[in-house]
Formats: sequence, C-alpha cells, structure tokens
Amino acid sequence: MSGSTTLAGTVGAAAQVVLVAAGSPLLVGVMRQVRARLEGRAGAGVLQPWRDLRKLLRKEAITPHGTGPVFRAAPLVLAATALVAAGVVPIATTESPLDGAADLFAVTALLALGTVALALAALDTATAFGGMGASREMTVLALVEPTILMSVFALSVPVGSTNLGAIVNSTLHEPQRVVSPVSLLAAVALAVVVIAETGRIPVDNPATHLELTMIHEAMVLEYAGPDLALVEWASAMRLTVLLGLVANLFAPWGIAGADSGWVALAALPLALAAFAAKVTLLGGALAAGEVFMAKLRMFRVPELLAGSFVLALLAVAASFFLA
Amino acid sequence: MTSVTGAALSASLGASVLAASAGAVLPRRIRPVAAGIGTAAAGAAAVVAGVAAMTGRSWSAWLPELLPLAGVRLAVDPLGGLFIAVTGAVAVCAAVYGVGYARPADGHGGHGLDGRTVQAVLPLFVAAMLLVPAAASVSTFLVAWELMALASLLLVVAEHRHRESVGQAGLWYAVMTHLGLVAILAALAGLAAAAHGESFDRMRAAAEGMSPAVRGAVFVAAFAGFASKAGIVPLHVWLPRAHPEAPSHVSALMSAAMVNLGVYGIVRVGFDLLGGGPRWWWLLVLAAGAVSALYGILQAAVATDLKRLLAYSTCENMGLVLVGLGAGGLLVTADARPLAALALTAALLHVVNHSAFKTLLFLAAGSVLRATGLRDLDALGGLRTRMPVTTAMFAVGALAASALPLGNGFVSEWLLLQSLIGSLGEGGTITAVTMPVAVGALALSAGLAVATFVKAFGTGFLARPRTPQAEAAAESPAAMGVGMGAAAACCVALALVPAFTVPGLARAVQVVLPGQDAVAGQVTLRLAAASSTMSPLLIAVGVAVAAAALLALLRFATTWRVRRRARLWDCGMGPMTARMEYTATSFAEPLQRVFDDVLAPETDVNVTPLAESAYLVDSVSYRARVGDRIESRLYRPLIAAATAVGEAARRLADGSVHRYLAYGFFTFTGVLIVLAVTR
Amino acid sequence: MSDVTYVRLLDLACGVFLLAAVLVLWRRDLAAIVRLFALQGAALAALVTVLGVHEGLDGDGAELVALAVGIAVLRAVVLPRLLRRAVADGGEARETEPLVNVAASLVVAAGLALLSYAVTRPVVALEPSPAVHAVPVALTVVLIGFFVLVSRRRALSQVVGFLLVDNGITAVAFLTTSGVPLIVELGVSLDVLLAVLVLQVLTARMRAAFGGTDLDDLRELRD
Repeated sequence: MSGSTTLAGTVGAAAQVVLVAAGSPLLVGVMRQVRARLEGRAGAGVLQPWRDLRKLLRKEAITPHGTGPVFRAAPLVLAATALVAAGVVPIATTESPLDGAADLFAVTALLALGTVALALAALDTATAFGGMGASREMTVLALVEPTILMSVFALSVPVGSTNLGAIVNSTLHEPQRVVSPVSLLAAVALAVVVIAETGRIPVDNPATHLELTMIHEAMVLEYAGPDLALVEWASAMRLTVLLGLVANLFAPWGIAGADSGWVALAALPLALAAFAAKVTLLGGALAAGEVFMAKLRMFRVPELLAGSFVLALLAVAASFFLA
Repeated sequence: MTSVTGAALSASLGASVLAASAGAVLPRRIRPVAAGIGTAAAGAAAVVAGVAAMTGRSWSAWLPELLPLAGVRLAVDPLGGLFIAVTGAVAVCAAVYGVGYARPADGHGGHGLDGRTVQAVLPLFVAAMLLVPAAASVSTFLVAWELMALASLLLVVAEHRHRESVGQAGLWYAVMTHLGLVAILAALAGLAAAAHGESFDRMRAAAEGMSPAVRGAVFVAAFAGFASKAGIVPLHVWLPRAHPEAPSHVSALMSAAMVNLGVYGIVRVGFDLLGGGPRWWWLLVLAAGAVSALYGILQAAVATDLKRLLAYSTCENMGLVLVGLGAGGLLVTADARPLAALALTAALLHVVNHSAFKTLLFLAAGSVLRATGLRDLDALGGLRTRMPVTTAMFAVGALAASALPLGNGFVSEWLLLQSLIGSLGEGGTITAVTMPVAVGALALSAGLAVATFVKAFGTGFLARPRTPQAEAAAESPAAMGVGMGAAAACCVALALVPAFTVPGLARAVQVVLPGQDAVAGQVTLRLAAASSTMSPLLIAVGVAVAAAALLALLRFATTWRVRRRARLWDCGMGPMTARMEYTATSFAEPLQRVFDDVLAPETDVNVTPLAESAYLVDSVSYRARVGDRIESRLYRPLIAAATAVGEAARRLADGSVHRYLAYGFFTFTGVLIVLAVTR
Repeated sequence: MSDVTYVRLLDLACGVFLLAAVLVLWRRDLAAIVRLFALQGAALAALVTVLGVHEGLDGDGAELVALAVGIAVLRAVVLPRLLRRAVADGGEARETEPLVNVAASLVVAAGLALLSYAVTRPVVALEPSPAVHAVPVALTVVLIGFFVLVSRRRALSQVVGFLLVDNGITAVAFLTTSGVPLIVELGVSLDVLLAVLVLQVLTARMRAAFGGTDLDDLRELRD
C-alpha cells in the first residue's frame, strides 16, 4: 500500500464522515418531503430537520428528576457509534484506514450498542413510556440479529471475508454477481433489517406519538434541547449509514477504489456525489413505500423478521449449493 | 526436577491447605481474613503456574505413595494450564471478595458464612478445581473430580438454615453431579480397561487401535457426564437451582470456574485422549451446544431472579463454547485444520471471557443481595445512586455478557462466527447444512443476550427503587469492591487487547491440533483461515474520540451552560411513582409472548367480583410463572417413575428379619444354581 | 442466448418460483395467496420458456415453449381465476388461525429448504448443469406445499398447498429431464384442473354443510 493511497483513504474516510454528519438531516428532510407531496401536503422543505436541530441546540439542557449519568451519556454514545460506523462503512472509499478495524459484524454490533445505550437511558427515566419503548426496541433488536448475521454470512461467502472493503471491491470486480440469487435474497433480507433497525414503517412509525404504537419515540420522550438534537441527529446518521451500506454493498459503482496516487483523491468528489444520489434515491423510495403501507402490529413484526431470516438463510444455502 | 509450573502449583496447593486449616481452627473474628488471604494466594500461585504452562513450561510428576494402589499422577500441559490459570484468577477475585461478603451486614447478609465449614471448605474447593486439569491418570482425575463435587455441594448448602429452597437445590445438585460422576467413571474406566492402563499417556497411545464402538461408547458417556457439569441442556436442571442458592462468591467460583472443567473434560477426552472421532460425535456436541445456547438465554431473558438469570446465562455461554468445540471437531474430520484451530481458539477464548464477566456479574449480584436481601429484579431498582461501585461493576459485566463491542464477549463470539462462516465450503453437505443453522442459533442467542442484560441492568440498577429494601441499600465493604474491581480489570483488558491471550491459547490448541496458529496480530486480530480482521482497541478508541469530539462540538454549539432540573412527563397527572415503572417481568413480556410455544408460561388471572353483582369487578390478580419446561416435561415424569418403583419395592421390606435373611439365602443359592447350570 | 444470461434468467425464475411459495406461508389473506399462486404459475412458465429457448427454437425447444404457453394459461390464469371465484363465493377471506403460527412456519420453510438442498446433492452431482442445480428449489416448493397442506385450516389454502406440490413436481420434471413429452404434460394438467374443480365443489358443499371451510370440522363426519 503506497503512501498516497493511505492519504486518499484517510481523506476519503474523513470526507464521508463529514458528508454523513452534514447530509443525514437533509436525507430525513427529503424523505419527509416525498411523503408530504405524495400525501398531498406542501411539506416543510428539505432543510426543516436542520432548522429543527438549530432550534433545539439553542434551548436549555434539561435533566429530568431521578435520571443519572446513563441518561446523559446515551445520546453521546448513540451519536459516537453512528460516527464511527460512518467512518468505517465504505461510503466514498473502500480504502478507509479504519476498514480493518471493524468488519460488517462489528459495524452492526456497534450500531446495536447505540440502541442499547438509548434503551438503558429510557429505563433510567423510570417512566412507563420509557420502559415500554426499551422493552419493544430490545425485542425487535433480538429478533433482527439472526437476519443480520445470516445476510452477512451470505455476502461474505463468495468473498471469503467479512471486511466491508473486501466485499465492495469484489463486487466492483465482478459486477455480474449483483444479480445472482444470493445477492438478491440477501438484499431483500438486509432491507428488512434496515427498516427494523431504523424504526420505519411497517415496524415502527417515526411520526407517531401514540402510546400503543411507538417504539423509538417512546424511548426518547424525556429528552429535550441539545440532548434531543443529538438523538435526532444520530438517528438520521444511522439511517444514512444503513441505507448507504445497502446501496454500496449491492451497487458500489462510483465509489473510490484502490487507485494509486492523486487519481484516488480526484475520484473522491465523484464518489461522494454518487453516494448522495444513491442514498437519496433509496430514501425517497423508502418514504414513497411508507405512504402505501400501514404499521404492523407489534406481534406481527416477528413474522416479518422470520420471513427476512428465511430469505437470508436461503441466500446462504444458495451461495453454497448454486456455486 | 523442578520447574516454575510445578513449584507454583505446589505452592498453590500448599496455600489452599493452609487456608483450609486456618478456616478450620482460627477464631471467628480473623477467620475470614486469614482464609481469604490464603485462598487468594493459592489462586495467584495457580495463575502463575497456569501461565507458565501456557508459555510452554509443561510439568509432570508421579507421587506413588500419596494414593493407595495407583498413586497420584500429575501433568500440566498448556491446555490444562489454561484452565488452571482461569480457575486461579477467579479464585483470587472470589477470595478477596469473600472477606467482605462473610462479614454480616446491617440487618441481613453474612448468614453465618464466617462459620468453620464454609471457611475451611472453600480453599479445598479451589484446590480440587486446580487438581482436575492437572490430573494425568484416571484415578487421580476421579478423586479430584469427586473432591470438587463434594466441596461444592457443602458450599451450596451453606445457607440452608436461612432459606427453604437451599435444601431442594442441594438435593438436585447432589443427584445430578453424582449421576454425572457415574457417567464419567464408566467412560474413563472403560477407556482404561481397553487401553490396559490408567495413565493418560497410556490411553492416548492405545486409543488409536480401539474399535469404533468402544470409542463411541466412551465418548458418549464422557460427554454426558461432562456436559452435565457444564450445564448443557437437557442436563442443566441443577445449575439454575444450585448456582443462585449458593453464597455469591461460591456462585462465581461454580459458574465461572467449575463449569469450565466440563468443557475441559470434553476437550481432554474427545480431542486429546481419543484423538478426535467421527462426524456424529461432533454433530452431537454442536447440536447440544446450540440447543443449550438458545434455551439458556431464552430462560434468562424471562427470568426475574437476578442470580437465576446469571445461571441460565452460564448455560447459554457453555452452549456457545460447545458450538465452537463441535465445529472444531467437525472441521478436523473434514481435514480443514486451520479453521478447526480457529474454532477451538474461539471456544477457549470464550471460556476465558465468560469466566471473567460471569465472576464479575455474580460478585456484583452478591453485593446487591447483601445490601438489600433481594434477588428479585421486580423488587430492585435505583441502586445507581445507592451503590455506585457495584452498579459500575455490573455495567462492565453486562456489556461483556451481551457480546457488544467494547465488551470482551464480543471478541470471542466474533472469532466463533468467523470460524462457522469460513467452514461453509468445507466438509460437504453436512457442514453446509449445519453451519447456517449454527450461525442462526448463535445470532439469536446473541440478540437475546442483549435484551437479557439490558433488562438486568436497566430494571435492577437504574430507574427508581421499587421496595423499601432497595431504597435502603448501601454500598458494600471495600474488600468486595476490590474483588469485583480485579474481575472488571480482567474484563476490560480482555476486551481491549485480547491479543495478549493469543500465544497461550495457541499453545493450548496445539496440544490437540499440532502446528496451527489460528489468530495473529497485536492491535488488529488477523485470522489464518479467513481474511477478515477486527480491532477491538481501535473501535474503542474511535468511539472515545468521537464522543469527545461531540462533547466539544456541543459545548461550542450550545449557549446554556447549566442543566435545569425538571419534572418527568407525567401526562399532567401528578408525580410518577415507582409502581408505574416497567418491571423486569413487563420488560420481558413481549419476548415471552413471541416465544410462547417454547416457554409455555403459566398464567393465572383471578377476577373477584363485588358481592352485589357478578359484573362489577372488585379486584383482579394476575400471576405469571415461567418454569423450566425441560424440568417439568422430562425430569418430573422420570422422578415420578422412580418414586413409583421405590414405592413398589417397599412392599418387599415389611420389617420381618426372617424375610430379609431369606432374600439373602435365596439370592445366594440362586447364584450357585446358575453357576452350576452354566458350568 | 449466451450461457451467462441463460443461467441468470434461470436462477431468477427459480427465485421468484420459490419466493412465491414462501410468501404463501406468510400471507393470511386468501386473495393474496391466490395472487401469489398465479405469480408462481407465471414463474414456472418463464422457467420452462427459458429452458426452451436455451434448447434452441428449431428443435425440442419449440415444443417446450409451446408447453410453457399452456402452463401459463392454466396455472397463471385459469386455476387462479377458479380459486378467486371460490374466495369470492365464500365468506372467509382470511386464514385466521393456522395450526402452526406464521413465524414458526417460515422458520420451518427455511429448514425444509436446507433439507432439500442436502438430499438432492447426489442428484445434482450426477449431472451438474445449471438446470439440475435448481432442482433443490423445486423440491423445496414441493415440501412447502406439503407443509401448507398439513398446517393450514381453510379448504382453499389446502387447494393452494396441493397446487404448490404439483407446481414443484412439474418444475422438478422440467429441470431434471429438460422436457416431458407433450402428451404427459397435457394429461397431468387435465388431472390438476379436474382435481381443482372437484375440490371446489367439495368446498362449496362443505360451506353449505358446516357454514365454513375449516377442515377440522370434517372430524364430525367420522362418528
């Protein structure tokens, strides 16, 4: 590995963290705008999430009675894990210096760590809402885990590695692999995972505050001001990272690969633009899909996850038996 | 010939005997301190011996005069050294902790734990656990094994005067552990008979030429015996009863050190003495492990008794270890030795990790028990402000047990997953069908473990106290804090730089798979059999740096410097009370509902109507209990059948001495007649 | 058609074929189940077309393509229409309480898939062509169809289960031998059509007798 490649990788990793940090509220804005338009509303504009964050940051920080360090640290952990994931996942470059530090398992486990921090904070408030949200979130998390690991399994078999950079590079070199049954089945399974992990319809409704249905919102009910801003921002980053992960695992074109020298640096802006386009497209599709769907009952969710598990398992089987 | 290993092991055994005599003779006032220091010294010496063995300084000795007939034969190789070191480390933490734990707390706790029996038996228990992996002949092994079983039994029933349930647990434990002993005895005796010698060397040499039937029978019997010690489903029933009822530092020793020896036995007999075996052995191990992992964690997820939850989590983790062993064995039969070495390394590393975090968790649970007299998570809560040290310790342990990054459990589960994933293409259809199922089981158990430990920590330690006892809790004495701190330090070290264990583990694996180095790398773990990499240290640093950067950013972006305290959102109904909190039971309810068919919980809803009208409800009571279904479906019928046979046999004994003599006479003549006829 | 595209299209058709069967287990809405069945019929027809085109349109391939058209008409149009009419006539639109719950059924389906992969290994090893590689998929569909028969209560779900088994068997036949004589296929198709008609009549009579089509009600006839 030459010096300039490492440089390009480092710059690329930094650029993708900045892109995710700055762009994720915009993605949420786009998704809300798509929904609003499809539902016949004018919408608040793409920039609204950023305006919300600015407003929240200017407010006073609140510590509700009886909450402790866990409650205060949770938003930080949530956002920090999302940032690290944004640095590892191949968003703009496959040569991130952190690539070897965390593979696909580690990234998903890292995001789960953020969820756990938030669930503990919700329990720390000692309110019924907090407990309810935490309990439901943990149930979903536990049931989603088999699908995640199984899809990772399926994706790693043809490559022989679970490192993200390796998987993306091998797809770049053998583009026909994308339309193989293994890849298609794994893609559908991972899409369900992303929906469950980011709390979108049909698993959870990000726009509801109705006690019977909410999961994520119930956990963050006690947050206000800058803490809430951090939570909202981190959720947006997680959504972006996960959508980006799906986009680049199955359609990595445009990403800056292992070119040498200044070519790699020059490829970065293009890679960032391609990523933004892909994620916007995916997010828009997700939002459009949500308009036509209703939220599932909590106890129908295991069926959805069992279904995605079957698809992932079939993907693994196909990767061995059809090879 | 002396070596570090031998000297340290002898010192360790000597120290435990000294500690035991100190516990037996010294006055009550200084007894716990003296015995505790002695046991800790024994543990520390054992760590030295184990580590020395793992760095390649093997040692063996034959003491012909110590035991009649056979003599005592000892040998410490890197594999045994690993288990000796782990046991020693657990003993150090538990012994230091025990000094504080035995001192009576205000009102409750103590429970006579500074009595002679407990103080004298505990060091002997440790010594027996050190002897088991050092034994090199069948007789030595069995004597050490039985000593360990008896010592632990005495310790389990230590608090029988204070709780009814202890006696029951002791009975279950006594029966199961001796049934296990019978199985192991049969296996090893059979092996020794077939090998015409009882030293392990002899058996190792002769195992190659034995018939497959003998080898298979030996393996199955040994596996059953050792699996029951390791708490593998369905032989686990004693574990969730005995571990919670034992004094907490004993629970730690049992759950973090003793169960390991079941794993040791399987590795020693299956891989080493028998030198591996056919595919069905390892499929059996793998299946038992996967079932155990899932069933254990599922029971833990719905348990509300903190120590019972931890005990079930032990079943889960031992199940994961067995998945690793099974995969390793399967890969050896498929001749994929680098991957097999990876699977075994993962399994052994998981043994080490599990010991570290389970010691910590049981010690922290004991600290809670001592301070509040409670084990029921539904009655705890709010310990964060009252017992900050214990809370922090439990948090470290819970993070490790939930197998998330920054915890040590993650590292070994990651290695295990890598070995399972890598083996898909090896060994044909059987592995291709087994491995995905194993990964699915592993993944589900990992997910449920997260939910379990969020529940344990979140409802037990955070939030608000649910009972006056929890309200009145106070922090435990310093000695207990030191014991927990040592275990927590091990957890953190294993989580951040697991690579320091790699050379030792590699040597331990090389005992059974010569010439394999599965894992390399200092900061980043690299695998010989797959091209995946992972660096726990870099992940931790990354999260820390990101959190620090965010903190700085927040300070820069916000204008307010003081946090205002405010009421919780209570829907405008007035202050919330602790009764409105989610309890551990309510937290686990969705999971219980999802796995309704497996758990089969018993629920009772009693509606009492008012006297005036059947339609007006006066009160509703709801009771739910999740029992161990294997116990009620498998063991209860067996016990009932055994009782019926016993009842029938009672009719033979009606008290008449003549009748009893007649039984003897008829049997004797009967045997003679048979002899006469057959000759 | 190049070999790569052939394999790709074949795999795609098989994927849809299997997916439709799995989704039958997932959906409770009987109308949706019928739609999925129609989708599966279309996938089967596509599968046969791909096989036919690969054989070459001037030889045996033409016959295969003709067969594919027949399959499409019967399994994607006629049978679904008959079933839809049965749904419309009956009051029940949902499979309310299957004997095995949906999540467990899906996991069972995964197990069945692994099982069929394992048992067809020798068959695949015999002649490792792309078509034979897909035999496990067809066998999985057979097993899933059987499982639907075992675990679902409504008569209509039972009919669909039966048809899944038949679809699976047909697919196995085409994948292993690359073609069944036209006359055999015609005979089988007629049989299937007849069976469905009979079952439809039976369903109607059941509804008249019991007011529902829960097959467990048939137990009453025993005494």
